[in-house]
Amino acid sequence: MNSPLVAGVPATGVEPPAPAARPTEWKGARMQAGIRRRYAAERRFRLLGLGSVLLSAGFLLFLLLTMLGNGLRGFTQTELRLPIDFAASSIMLDPATLATPAGQAALNTADIEGATAAAADVAFGAGGARLLSDGGWLRVRDAIAADPTILTRKAEVWVPAATGIDLAAKGKASPEDEAAYARLNRAGATKTGLNLAFLTSADSTDPTLVGIWGALKGSLLTMAVTILLAFPIGVLSALYLEEYAPRNRWTDLIEVSINNLAAVPSIIFGLLGLAVFLNFMDMPRSAPIVGGLTLALMTMPVIVIAGRNAIKSVPPSIRDAALGIGASRVQVVFHHVLPLALPGILTGTIIGMARALGETAPLLMIGMRAFIATPPGGITEPATVLPVQIFLWSDEVSRGFVEKTSAAIIVLLVFLMLMNGIAIYLRNRFERRW
Amino acid sequence: MSGFALLFLVLGLGLVAWGTARARAARFASAGSARAHSRPNYHGWYVALWAIVPALIFLAIWGSIEPGLVMGAALDSPAAASLPMPGMERSAILSEVRGLAEGTVAAAFNPISNALLPAYQAASMHYAIIGTLAAVLLALAGGAYAFTRLTPDFRARTRVERVVMGALLVASLIAILTTLGIVASLLFESLRFFAKVSPIEFLFGTSWSPQTAIRADQVGSSGAFGAVPLFWGTIFIGAIIAMAVAIPLGLMSAIYLTQYAKPSTRKWMKPILEILAGVPTVVYGYFAALTIAPALRQFAVSIGISSASSESALAAGLVMGVMIIPFVSSMADDSIAAVPQSMRDGSLAMGATTSETIRKVLVPAALPGVVGGVLLAVSRAIGETMIVVMAAGLAANLTLNPFASVTTVTTQIVQLLTGDQEFDSAKTLAAFALGLVLFLVTLALNIVALRVVKKYREAYE
Repeated sequence: MNSPLVAGVPATGVEPPAPAARPTEWKGARMQAGIRRRYAAERRFRLLGLGSVLLSAGFLLFLLLTMLGNGLRGFTQTELRLPIDFAASSIMLDPATLATPAGQAALNTADIEGATAAAADVAFGAGGARLLSDGGWLRVRDAIAADPTILTRKAEVWVPAATGIDLAAKGKASPEDEAAYARLNRAGATKTGLNLAFLTSADSTDPTLVGIWGALKGSLLTMAVTILLAFPIGVLSALYLEEYAPRNRWTDLIEVSINNLAAVPSIIFGLLGLAVFLNFMDMPRSAPIVGGLTLALMTMPVIVIAGRNAIKSVPPSIRDAALGIGASRVQVVFHHVLPLALPGILTGTIIGMARALGETAPLLMIGMRAFIATPPGGITEPATVLPVQIFLWSDEVSRGFVEKTSAAIIVLLVFLMLMNGIAIYLRNRFERRW
Repeated sequence: MSGFALLFLVLGLGLVAWGTARARAARFASAGSARAHSRPNYHGWYVALWAIVPALIFLAIWGSIEPGLVMGAALDSPAAASLPMPGMERSAILSEVRGLAEGTVAAAFNPISNALLPAYQAASMHYAIIGTLAAVLLALAGGAYAFTRLTPDFRARTRVERVVMGALLVASLIAILTTLGIVASLLFESLRFFAKVSPIEFLFGTSWSPQTAIRADQVGSSGAFGAVPLFWGTIFIGAIIAMAVAIPLGLMSAIYLTQYAKPSTRKWMKPILEILAGVPTVVYGYFAALTIAPALRQFAVSIGISSASSESALAAGLVMGVMIIPFVSSMADDSIAAVPQSMRDGSLAMGATTSETIRKVLVPAALPGVVGGVLLAVSRAIGETMIVVMAAGLAANLTLNPFASVTTVTTQIVQLLTGDQEFDSAKTLAAFALGLVLFLVTLALNIVALRVVKKYREAYE
């Protein structure tokens, strides 16, 4: 605070009223120098404070910009136009039978991969197959399944390019990939567009084929288990501790455990999940239900603490009025206190859930780091979650994974910002000051 | 019938019970005699609880014993005679049969599984029918019993409220159970570890290489479990480097935002700083490993430290420090705000500048609170996992060089427990011993910190 008292009075020099003693020489050179020195120190200190705020904010900006810079390219993908002469290819399929189950089985066993590679060699010269993504032939298979009649003629299929070509299209790759891309580009055989597959498919070993839907679905299932357990338990214990609990040793014990649980490192919860849920109760490894249980134990104390604060802020007059007109103690709480405290509780819950959504370490402990190539179908099937997927991709050596990891981080951050935005909205819209 | 369908069936029966009981209780009121003790709703809930709760308890118990019953019946069938003796192979076949029956396994690997499948499916069907019938009967019986008790002066509300209070109590006991679970599981596994490795060696040994022998004659594979290098690495990264970043930046940010910044600036800057605490740690870890660590290594090489590692303690510590800034800042904010206004006014009235007031009056007065906050921050930093797993190394070095690679307790826990593991080796048990140490240290730090903060608050109240 810049108080005029500090700055003004000594500087303007109000003379002391008693000249008998030696007066302080306000105007003296020594005094003025001292004051200047003190003001300089004041400015330095202030700048230091501003500097540290800006440095912290700058770091956040740097982090977000780095992720955006790396990650936005992860949402796009380069594709090559591949002309295939199906009639002359090694695919021995009859278009008429494809609709039948037998035809589907034949499609699954046909050598489409070989035919695609051969077509690429014809179209792009020797070694052309290497320009395509390893899983590019799957696109050809999908094209056949969608329109069996192309089997009888020549057709053009857009196929994902190999990682090197993809990176060359986005500007940084080895010289030979750059050259190959330039050649293809002159031939008009490339396009770079939005990679919808990234949002709809699951993990893969090939960076051009990976997607986050598998991990996202795992995250959603895990969060569903977490909130179904943590929210009711958290709210009920907050109500008990705040409204009913007698002051005794047991209540103290409960309070101490909740406060400590809120501060226990998350990895300890992972050890608990491993020892109790997996080894003792023999639940399935890598499953969202175990992850959800573990995260629920971690989130519950956060909800209890937020809930107690929200309940505490409901004024006692509300309780007294309800009791006065004959409500029972349970009715007072469930009809009056809880509805009034609910916005605060929900805000705390969303913040706790956001923390659980970004949590990685405990889920590594219970085996949610497996390679899962299909999205999980239920809460007992092996799954992985978004943060763990980011961790797994960050370990991959292939350079194509860098942009995919950053893209996954962007998706995770968008989810977290949405949740926190909702929490802030709830707080501003519904919270009442009594 | 699957578990979920059964669950919904029971809940549906409960809904029916609620509706009928409520309708009946509503007629008490219209019958015009004496006023009913409880509102119709409570009668409904009373009957619904009687219908649902016993059936759910039965389902929970049944769910845990049913697989054993089914497998027992399948093993009694003639097809089970060809099963191998108990061991790995037998349990593999049995789990394959279970998978086939549930449809999670497409085709059997072992022919015996196919032979056993019909017997298993028959037994499974048999027990599923028994379970469903019993659950439905229990729900109906419970509901019917409760329904017969409904009269105008029946105290349904009291009963229901008693159940509600019971539920509240049980919910709050879960916190104690969790704490007990943590302590028991850590302690139990650690004791098994200390039966193999002496606690003295673990706590004071300086050599850490947890690889246990795969073959008996392997060289250099005895496994050394001296955890001092891990403790040092944890303290070096979490308590020294991270705090060297977080304390000055956090404290100065708090001072600037509370003492100098305009309210409008403060309103914007504070949430922005708090975003730093909300970014998931895996993002920080990726950032540290991908951006900060290579840059630091280049810097170290350019100033002549050729031994600089790309997994340096400095990279992990710096990023962790940034993560902790908002934490330190908000603790400092609270404690500075708790210093009485009169002390500040007194100092300003004596002619001190704002910065002199802050440095000589506010911060010394708020020091206990700030120290408490720093202790809490340290406890959070040493328990932090993903940043160090991704950015710090695995080499257990006892070094003061911030550009060298050190490893931490949490990194090693992750390292020991992921990948192929057999659960009884000293290697995996060591992770629980490390977890126990981490738990105890963070607990102690938290207790001390809270005590310091509390005592200091009392001093000014």
